[in-house]
Amino acid sequence: MGGSKRDKREREEGRRSKKHKSDLDFDQYDVDEDSQDVESGGIPDAATRQVDESSSKEDEFGAKDYRKILDLKLDHSSRPLWVAPDGHIFLEAFSPVYNHAHDFLIAISEPVCRPSHIHEYKLTAYSLYAAVSVGLETKDIIEYLRRLCKTTLPSGIEEFIRLCTLSYGKVKLVLKHNKYYVESQHAEVVQKLLKDPVIQECRYRPELNDGENTDVIQESVTKPTSIQFNKPVTNGSSTTVPGTSTSSDPQAGPSGDDGGGTSDNTDTVPSDIFDYYDKMDNDEEEGEDLKTVSFEVKQDRIEDIQKRCIEIEYPLLAEYDFRNDTVNKDINIDLKPSTVLRPYQEKSLRKMFGNGRARSGVIVLPCGAGKTLVGVTAACTVRKRCLCLATSGVAVEQWRSQFKMWSTADDSMICRFTSDAKDKPIGCSICISTYSMLAHTNKRSWEAEKVMEWMQSQEWGIMVLDEVQTIPAKMFRRVLTIVNAHCKLGLTATLVREDDKIADLNFLIGPKLYEANWMELQNLGFIARVQCAEVWCPMTPEFYREYLTTKQQRKLLLYGMNPNKFRACQFLIKYHERRNDKIIVFSDNVFALKNYAKKLGKPYLYGPTTQGERLQILQNFQHNPKINTIFVSKVADTSFDLPEANVLIQISAHGGSRRQEAQRLGRILRAKKGAVAEEYNAFFYSLVSQDTMEMQYSLKRQRFLINQGYSYKVVTKFAGLEDEDLAYGTKQEQAQLLQEVIAASDQDAEEERIAGESQTGKSVFGKRVGSMSSMSGGDGSVYMDMKKSSNKHLHPLFKKFRK
Amino acid sequence: MVNVMKGILVECDPAMKQFLLHMDETEGLGRKFVIQDLDETHIFISAEILPVLRDRIDDLMDKLSFPLNEK
Repeated sequence: MGGSKRDKREREEGRRSKKHKSDLDFDQYDVDEDSQDVESGGIPDAATRQVDESSSKEDEFGAKDYRKILDLKLDHSSRPLWVAPDGHIFLEAFSPVYNHAHDFLIAISEPVCRPSHIHEYKLTAYSLYAAVSVGLETKDIIEYLRRLCKTTLPSGIEEFIRLCTLSYGKVKLVLKHNKYYVESQHAEVVQKLLKDPVIQECRYRPELNDGENTDVIQESVTKPTSIQFNKPVTNGSSTTVPGTSTSSDPQAGPSGDDGGGTSDNTDTVPSDIFDYYDKMDNDEEEGEDLKTVSFEVKQDRIEDIQKRCIEIEYPLLAEYDFRNDTVNKDINIDLKPSTVLRPYQEKSLRKMFGNGRARSGVIVLPCGAGKTLVGVTAACTVRKRCLCLATSGVAVEQWRSQFKMWSTADDSMICRFTSDAKDKPIGCSICISTYSMLAHTNKRSWEAEKVMEWMQSQEWGIMVLDEVQTIPAKMFRRVLTIVNAHCKLGLTATLVREDDKIADLNFLIGPKLYEANWMELQNLGFIARVQCAEVWCPMTPEFYREYLTTKQQRKLLLYGMNPNKFRACQFLIKYHERRNDKIIVFSDNVFALKNYAKKLGKPYLYGPTTQGERLQILQNFQHNPKINTIFVSKVADTSFDLPEANVLIQISAHGGSRRQEAQRLGRILRAKKGAVAEEYNAFFYSLVSQDTMEMQYSLKRQRFLINQGYSYKVVTKFAGLEDEDLAYGTKQEQAQLLQEVIAASDQDAEEERIAGESQTGKSVFGKRVGSMSSMSGGDGSVYMDMKKSSNKHLHPLFKKFRK
Repeated sequence: MVNVMKGILVECDPAMKQFLLHMDETEGLGRKFVIQDLDETHIFISAEILPVLRDRIDDLMDKLSFPLNEK
């Protein structure tokens, strides 16, 4: 799938990272928005390893022929996987063993594309690293893959898995009783590490005189069973014991209702698949005796030993044995008894706390699926001092209200550290702040300075990082050097960046622990069922003429203001208002935003709108039955929580940003009350002017959602559009509009720019109010466009119409 | 004197007609080729230009599409 080109690029990057390996000076990192060659220091070489693609034959369409290499098994029809020698794995979503295979593949590989019937995954060095760090072992991975595969396992794949998992995850850096230990189940690895001169220096020896003290600490510990989230439930009858729920849980099925089907089909499935799964499952979950070998290291040399271990390709996995941490005092928070975790939230947390210790990593859940609750639960599980970082002041308010909603934490424990909050964070248990606040380098107020000093001096139990994909690596690294946290949890909905830097997160925070399947959650009714539509609006001849002759920047204005688009938008608004839907219209271009809103007599919000006005507009939108439509600019892209809205119309967007598209969809994803899961209950329209660049952007933007299994319906004509009384029906009106557009200044043609963080102003926030104020939230995010790579192989069906 | 020119009647949507006129005016294909602009959706062009024009329109369409299987 066009992989070879990318592989090459990744390899190049790998080479580059090797070159810069030696200088790990944090301040040298350029902001990655504008520099192409940001170094990826701190990442082991093995991470850039690629599957060795053997010389497989390709036919004239670029399809690969593996018949010579792989043998089909006799009972292939009951096995769910194809494993291609290039590392791509194809899973039949309709297979009876789908659940097992899916859980397993999520752990060891990256989902590429998950439509309804066949899912595509890819084995990468990162994903295998993640697999090892959640406790899977090389032999298990290979063996289970072999059993699931319809064919023999390609030898290259086996080799690749061995290579990638050989050195990963073997050694852990554990904080126990407030001493740092390097721990491993493999004595030979520890011996090897101890032979390294740098590591020898870092090792802590109680008596230096005793030079012969080279013994390592040998321990046999009983692996603790996994943690129970939301303890109060334990007494109830609805208890789910984490260790046993996975294998018997039919809920995780692709459509939720195939529980019966699964059991019917069991006899046709080769029993070895189930046997092995159960065995692996038990391996991970049940308590068992483990022999570990460890040695203590000097606390002040932690950085050095981490760097050294990466250099010799035994990256240390950081684990935090928070239950044995006696120096940092516990904070007294629990989840409220009424809080119930959804199965996927529990599953993701189980990955994080799988062995009774806290692992650092990233959890990926769609917008509206309850990421915040996962963060809150993690904090309640660790029960140590907690730092939450969000992208904007508004998001900070939301985190605060969510903490209060789900947990027993009250105002005295939660503190906001933002430019305008009046809280006094020093000494608090839960601190919520923004990335820019922490990474700020200019002069601060005296108070803020004190708070920063305090923060740096603290040992934080857990650091929760919201919307982790948005942060530039430079800012991020600064935050990591300031805050000393034992465990880092990253939360995001869209683990994509247009600059392919996302992989770096694996080594800055930790591996991806869990990624939810959007379609699955939709089918189970946890998120709204969205009908996506791309509406093609033909350009009027006059506008297209101007479009062809005008310069690049102004084209945006012309296709945004296309009268036919306006009419389509007006038609949709009228249609949905009649259904009593609540509609948000997005426009990145402020000129178009104002023009549309004024013409239609609807309220609009954008960067410069004052706090009071925003509040008023949003309150009206939520409660006033007469205000059903609002126009918003991209200030509302992220952390803008409007549970009422169920229709989204997009009239102009930021180029080809996949993330923006997904974030916007997220605005209407929150599950609607009383919704019937069978039918669509939310609508996402993207209005596109035909024959313009917008068509291309639109396709680019959709990639992420399409890979999640969404499909866009293309609408070229609305039935009944002619009968409606819509604006710009006559040539004169259209000509007038064109004059207005031509008269617009160049500044109007630009997209709205938003400063990093704006004030939240009001100090009193309820839950509702918090969501209103999201409007103020500058999102510091920068969208970017990727470079177009040439396409090499296309099946003739998809070939562009060229002779 | 009577001039005979071989031409082709093109039917297209209004926007595409604008594209043809634009090509004609700017001589984007090397020379003028529109013989007569008939109405909203019809235009009469010289026959020789057809292959070049086809290429050009393919180009335009290529620019507007984006292969989804690329990462």
